[in-house]
Amino acid sequence: MKISFKLNNKNVTIDTDPMRRLLDIIREDFHLTGTKEGCGEGECGACTVLLDGKPVTSCLVNAVHIDGKEVMTSEGIAQEPLGKLLIDCFDETNAVQCGFCFPGFLVTSYHYVKTDGEKNLDKIKKALSGNICRCTGYQKIFESVMMACERN
Amino acid sequence: MKFIRPNDMEGLFQNIEENNDRKYFLAGGTDINIQIKNGTIKDAEIIYIKHLKELNGIQIEKDDIVIGATTNISDILNSKIIKENLPFFQRSLESFASPLLQTSATIGGNIANGSPTADVVPLLLVLDAKLEIVSKSQIRIIELTNFFTGYKTNIMKANELIRSIIIPKKAENGFDTFFEKVGSRKSLMISKISLAGLKNISHNKFTTIKLAAGSLNEYPRRLYKIEEYLTDKSLLEIDFLKVEELLNEEITPITDLRSDKEYRYHVCVNLIRTFLNE
Amino acid sequence: MKCVRKFDARPKLDGSWKFIDDYSYPEMIHGQLLYSKCHHGYIKKINFPENYDLSEFTIVSSKDIPGENIVPEPVCDQPFMMDKEVMHYGQGILGIAHPDRKLLLKFIKETKIEYEELPAITDIKECLNNPDNVFGRELTIDHRTGKKPDPHWDHHHKIYYTPHQEQAYLEPQGMIAVWQPKDKIMFVRATCQCPFFVKEGVEAIMGDSIKEAIIETSEGIGGAFGGKEDFPSLLAGITSLLSYKSGKPVKIVLEREDDIRITTKRHPSRIEIETWTDPEAKKIMKIDIDYRLDAGAYQTLSPVVLARGVLHSISGYSIPDTFIRGRLFRSNTPSNGAFRGFGAPQAFAAMEAHIDEIAAGMNINPYKFRKKNIFKIGDEFPTTQPILENHLSDCLERVIEKSNYFQKLEEFKEWNKTHKDKKGIGISIGYHGGGYTGNGEKVLNSEVKVVIEKDATVKIFVANTDMGQGAHTTLAQMFFEAIDHPREKCLVQLPNTSKTPNSGPTVASRTIYIIGNLLRKFAFKIKDELEFENLEEYVTSNQNEFPREFRMNFVQDPSVVFDDENYVGVAYKDYSWAACVTEIYFLADTYQIELTKSWNVMDIGKVVNQKIATGQAEGGVLQGLAYGLCEFFYKSGYGRMHGFTDYALPTTLDLPEIDVEFIHTDSPIAKGLGEIPMDFPAPSVRNAFHNATGIFIDEYPLVPERIFKHLKKI
Ligand SMILES: Cc1cc2nc3c(=O)[nH]c(=O)nc-3n(C[C@H](O)[C@H](O)[C@H](O)COP(=O)(O)OP(=O)(O)OC[C@H]3O[C@@H](n4cnc5c(N)ncnc54)[C@H](O)[C@@H]3O)c2cc1C
Ligand code: FES
Ligand code: FES
Repeated sequence: MKISFKLNNKNVTIDTDPMRRLLDIIREDFHLTGTKEGCGEGECGACTVLLDGKPVTSCLVNAVHIDGKEVMTSEGIAQEPLGKLLIDCFDETNAVQCGFCFPGFLVTSYHYVKTDGEKNLDKIKKALSGNICRCTGYQKIFESVMMACERN
Repeated sequence: MKFIRPNDMEGLFQNIEENNDRKYFLAGGTDINIQIKNGTIKDAEIIYIKHLKELNGIQIEKDDIVIGATTNISDILNSKIIKENLPFFQRSLESFASPLLQTSATIGGNIANGSPTADVVPLLLVLDAKLEIVSKSQIRIIELTNFFTGYKTNIMKANELIRSIIIPKKAENGFDTFFEKVGSRKSLMISKISLAGLKNISHNKFTTIKLAAGSLNEYPRRLYKIEEYLTDKSLLEIDFLKVEELLNEEITPITDLRSDKEYRYHVCVNLIRTFLNE
Repeated sequence: MKCVRKFDARPKLDGSWKFIDDYSYPEMIHGQLLYSKCHHGYIKKINFPENYDLSEFTIVSSKDIPGENIVPEPVCDQPFMMDKEVMHYGQGILGIAHPDRKLLLKFIKETKIEYEELPAITDIKECLNNPDNVFGRELTIDHRTGKKPDPHWDHHHKIYYTPHQEQAYLEPQGMIAVWQPKDKIMFVRATCQCPFFVKEGVEAIMGDSIKEAIIETSEGIGGAFGGKEDFPSLLAGITSLLSYKSGKPVKIVLEREDDIRITTKRHPSRIEIETWTDPEAKKIMKIDIDYRLDAGAYQTLSPVVLARGVLHSISGYSIPDTFIRGRLFRSNTPSNGAFRGFGAPQAFAAMEAHIDEIAAGMNINPYKFRKKNIFKIGDEFPTTQPILENHLSDCLERVIEKSNYFQKLEEFKEWNKTHKDKKGIGISIGYHGGGYTGNGEKVLNSEVKVVIEKDATVKIFVANTDMGQGAHTTLAQMFFEAIDHPREKCLVQLPNTSKTPNSGPTVASRTIYIIGNLLRKFAFKIKDELEFENLEEYVTSNQNEFPREFRMNFVQDPSVVFDDENYVGVAYKDYSWAACVTEIYFLADTYQIELTKSWNVMDIGKVVNQKIATGQAEGGVLQGLAYGLCEFFYKSGYGRMHGFTDYALPTTLDLPEIDVEFIHTDSPIAKGLGEIPMDFPAPSVRNAFHNATGIFIDEYPLVPERIFKHLKKI
């Protein structure tokens, strides 16, 4: 099936199995490997991307579903001013450990700061509650997002 | 695996009318994709429906709120209509899966998938929700409480699907509300027990009680016997041993990797008690 | 205590840093393991599904192994792939490769194996309660006086159980092998902790068919926590075999469900403790510990875990009469392996629980009882190693003070009188010996290499990997801070066994403690040797001397003398110390414990990088708390878990506020940090639950179902 969509602000078209996972399309067809597979079943958030501006687990999204839509990955967000600001904050707190979960956290945090942006710990925890991190204990992640809310 | 993306409702009906093969509707895909991956769905027909506008959106229609089957949980959480009319329903959905799943998962998918743990079902049950089930030639409105027939089975025929969920606009009005979802963590939680309740009290007596439980039977169910027993009683008149006895008739909890049946049963008892006492 | 930023944070965030699955090679094909779903038995027949062209697949079994079918480990008893008999669930039977990963996974799913099943030990308690299952060497620390316990002494006798714990590194195990027939080199790209272990593994399985195995890690190692210490050797072996046979690069990245099913976990334990306490002096006079681990089907590195467990099993108390016995038990489950803490978390989970047990029995406050018995200068470990500092006691005092422990104790007591839900507060302590046990570091004889380039760039070559703990940032920092060199000009190189000397594995909290301190010394040594004030200026004016290579070996302190036969002597030169206070909220309706606050005070010596160290500690404490509260992998009668849906990791909504403070940071040396945060928190949850409800639970984790059972019993 022909699928046309916007990927990190560029129009693209692919011919693919309509049930193929968005995660595989991003990684295999476009070599954007920032989007990770941690579980393949919606449980970890390492594969988070924005679909029409909303964070989704790309391991559970099928190709047919992205036709005519906009997809943003961590690579795309890193180019946006707000993405850059978030990266600065995560960097400053030394929050990043193994980093496998972080492109996902970047995407979800970006969505939070952009759409809500209140410097409120409870809200931030809730917004990030679909992203698992096994290394950090999360506190430095919260700190970074709070910092980004303040600076934005 | 055969895949179909109908262009419109007509195309959809044509497809489901024509063949009686095992078929699945791909809405958010958060259940289907897992089932394909672990092999419980194979060699079936998959029909994509998420793009069909007729199945999507939240509207007020006379005395009802009508939620299209493919409406995402996140849309319900963000809806002004829901906020104004069904705030309890909205609030309770915050614990659904995770924010990332809420943007994909649909309300219709949750119901149709028919898992005993489906979170929206106990809530909709106490709100007296109905389902609009459609086929090419027929529309039937049925009470949600009559929808399920067993573990992952329901009354829908092979040529039918859920078009919308209908909730009386005033379903929550005047009620004290209760929803507790118990799992092993606070997000991404599969419920071990869930209990939804509505009550109102007049002259110290419970005039109306509605209770529904998830994860305690083959599908989420209203606890009618308990409701009946409690109605028109005051707190002091309630014999909790009787409630426990009735609960034993109403639920059939199991022990699995996640939890134990005795635990499930007793937590349910405790929650009912707290619901009545609060 | 500067807060140098991590050099790899930005590329990890924007996604450009490469993890194992992000690498690709021309003509690369995909591999997977076909593993046993039977616990013990013989294979009668393997039925491949029809409708596949078998000629497209590369398939290897133990018969294809040119070298030896034994994974090099402290005890060499585990085959790479099943030989004649299936010994455990999850044992590799075949390696299979195909160009299409999806098709390969489907093929494997549809392959059916017929077994002749034999009796199997799969239940943890059954395994640990039957002495017939003992295998391997029994360890004893015998420091008995031979005197009979005084009949007036309080006697306490308890058995504690701890569960498996899944490392749950977010990046699944993965490996790429690239066979280069011209040079007879097997190049392996690995997500692993110990490139030289992987090298030994590949060279063992490939035997003389290759000249050398060269291992290079992926840029990113997506978490490890011990889980990528020894399993990668096995995986690399099979991946290499597939590459050798197919002649193509082969990548194996495990699916999460397979990873959870077949890789190593923390050893479940049964720890029996018997104590005799003088009720007047409030001193423990005598202790007997029986420390048992379920090792799984093979011993592999379990004897080393056992050693550390036994050495930490008395917790931080000075007891004149001690007898400790440690044994491994065999079961038909995948070998258990390394996980942050390495036997110590089990030890503290039991002993720190027991301390509260005794204190409650004697009606004395658990803090006060600890203070009476805690290590002081002049005391000895059971191995006779002298205690040289009171830092453990300092940690305890500090955490009691900053958590307002005594005030909360009163507050909670009052609050609980009028509430159905309960609040509780609990204490635990712990410590961790840095580096390999006993003579281990001597045997390892770690070597590091530094190359100074013409532009004064310092390249550091160590085999230690950065799996998220920030090791490469901190190691470089220890070097450049010593000689005041610009940070951009000092970089740790990606570990590659052909370029990097063997500075030992990335385990045992040894990276900063052994290698970091060595690099610091090394920097001073180079400075002395070249007699420079400023390295950049020196290089500029002596261009012809560069590039130049320097090497240095680790020399163990002469005080470390350990009798490995009798377990007497100095087991670890330096210990990190810690104490913790955790507050909980117990929900009466659902029998759930919510963690509200956790206070942690640690002495890790000099803190090289405050933010990195705090991050490590916070992450470790959360793993430790979850170990006590909710993580388990096996349920009797219902088997093992299959993925992240079952094995529920803590989310952002599940953690308490975690407070971390380091004390005695003026120390000249940086001690071990990696593991200690995981060692001690679990029992504080259990003790807080007792404080809240008056009920002791001796089996971890404290899931609501277990609490419910206890409450119903009472
Ligand atoms: C990580 C994770 C966490 C989860 N957490 C929760 C949770 O907390 N609570 C919870 O309740 N669920 C949870 N789920 C399950 C799932 O997300 C929900 O059941 C979701 O609502 C399903 O909707 P969907 O649109 O994704 O369904 P799909 O996967 O698209 O479809 C599911 C089923 O419904 C049928 N179907 C879909 N739409 C219709 C229709 N209009 N008419 C008839 N049949 C239809 C399909 O044929 C299919 O059988 C979780 C799932 C995952 C992966
Ligand atoms: S890989 Fe998609 S949520 Fe884990
Ligand atoms: S940094 Fe390793 S999982 Fe989050």
